[in-house]
Amino acid sequence: MLRKIVSILAGLGLWHFLATVVVNDTTLLVSPIVVVKTAYQMLFVTGELYPHLFASSWIFFYGFALAIVVGVPLGFVMALNAAVRDYVNPWMATLYTTPRIAFAPVLLLWFGIGAGSKVAIVFLGCIFPILINSYYGMRTVDREYVELARSFRLGRWSLFFKILLPASVPFVLAGIRLAIGRGLTGVAIAEWFGATEGLGYLIFFAGQTLNIPTLFVGVAVFAALGIVAFEVVRRVEIYATPWRKTSAGG
Amino acid sequence: MSRREITRGCISIFVGLVLWEILTRLLLENELLIPPPSSVLRSFWSLLLSGQLKKHFLATLLEFAYGFSTACIIGVLLGYLMGMYKWFDEIMDPWIATLYSIPIITIVPLIIIWFGIGMLSKVIVVFKITAVAIILNTAAGVKALNPVWLELAKSLRLGAWETTYKIRLPGALPFIITGMRLGVGRALLGVVVAELMAANAGLGYLLRDSSETWDSPKLFVTVILLAVIGLVSFNLIKRLERRMAPWRQGAEWSAD
Repeated sequence: MLRKIVSILAGLGLWHFLATVVVNDTTLLVSPIVVVKTAYQMLFVTGELYPHLFASSWIFFYGFALAIVVGVPLGFVMALNAAVRDYVNPWMATLYTTPRIAFAPVLLLWFGIGAGSKVAIVFLGCIFPILINSYYGMRTVDREYVELARSFRLGRWSLFFKILLPASVPFVLAGIRLAIGRGLTGVAIAEWFGATEGLGYLIFFAGQTLNIPTLFVGVAVFAALGIVAFEVVRRVEIYATPWRKTSAGG
Repeated sequence: MSRREITRGCISIFVGLVLWEILTRLLLENELLIPPPSSVLRSFWSLLLSGQLKKHFLATLLEFAYGFSTACIIGVLLGYLMGMYKWFDEIMDPWIATLYSIPIITIVPLIIIWFGIGMLSKVIVVFKITAVAIILNTAAGVKALNPVWLELAKSLRLGAWETTYKIRLPGALPFIITGMRLGVGRALLGVVVAELMAANAGLGYLLRDSSETWDSPKLFVTVILLAVIGLVSFNLIKRLERRMAPWRQGAEWSAD
């Protein structure tokens, strides 16, 4: 622990030294002190960060929610029905392995520069980890549980709701957790194309105007959002699956 | 993959393409929104003949190869040291964790400011993405080494060098390859983002160029090409993973 603190302090000191003595050019690098000051200004004095934060959060939320609503059932259907799986699989595998950025211009062409195309980009980023994990969760349900259900003569629906669904919840949640990072990247990509507000816009605008302090603040906020969202889902995971000590899947 | 899966997969793709062609021909007057597959193919052919495709493809490939190979060497080295020495791990950990939690595309503008719009900035982007993934996985692999193997090395009186070469690195290999696999997908995204932002060659540049000139067939050629590159690299590394670590059950797809 002590070593970690020393490492962080030494790194910040080195950064300060590099910025003020070696580089000494505010269009290339600024000291961490300036970054903290700028963050303070943007958060508590001018408050200019909030509209961007708000815009990005909404896009993230819509895309993320849509990905859960579509991804989880689709993953389940693919796991339970071999024909659907075989026909959908080649398209899914192709979409999944394509770098998402490639779709951004196409989606922009279809949905315009409004919220639609941004939500679509976030959706496309989030859906695959959720879909794939839902699929695996449903596929890898312990056979003994299913046999138990059979011996109790459970019908199709009660088998699904009482056995298959609860057994796949940990996997689904792990998928949702993995989707957070991809969703945040999606937000940044989306806001870079034809946006007028949002954290991604803030970062790219700062980059183009060589406003390094704002650029660093934007990056830091992004990282903080990722960590917070990750932690929230981890808490939900612990709460929703109390019988598990650690989360599996992924 | 069973025979049935392959047949159904082929049917699905074929029917999808035919439907796409028919629907775009019947419903859309304008090829701007969705060009039919035949125009995409024609555009692909003309790009191929003019040598443009080769130029941009090679630029991206080279940037990727430089960044990836450097990241493999440095990543394994740093990861190994982190796995071996606790003090080094504690010193590096906060910085690697920070780098890991920042979405790469948010620091691309910064990297372009520092390293220019040429090839170097893209190599750095690929390097950063891949190196972090490999460092974290190598460190985990070295730490998770079965202690029985180390005892075996001791009883065989292997030197420090030989223990590293014959026990520790092969033991961590499956982890290292997993790190590489995670790196490939993300690095591909990173290099295209960087090229899209500021470049004069590469597939990302082609993407930007075609979308800004409203050349939809060309845009689709680039998108499909990127899809193929993604699919091929993903499958190559999956095969490598299976070969290097056959005892590990590989998932058919695995989310990163």
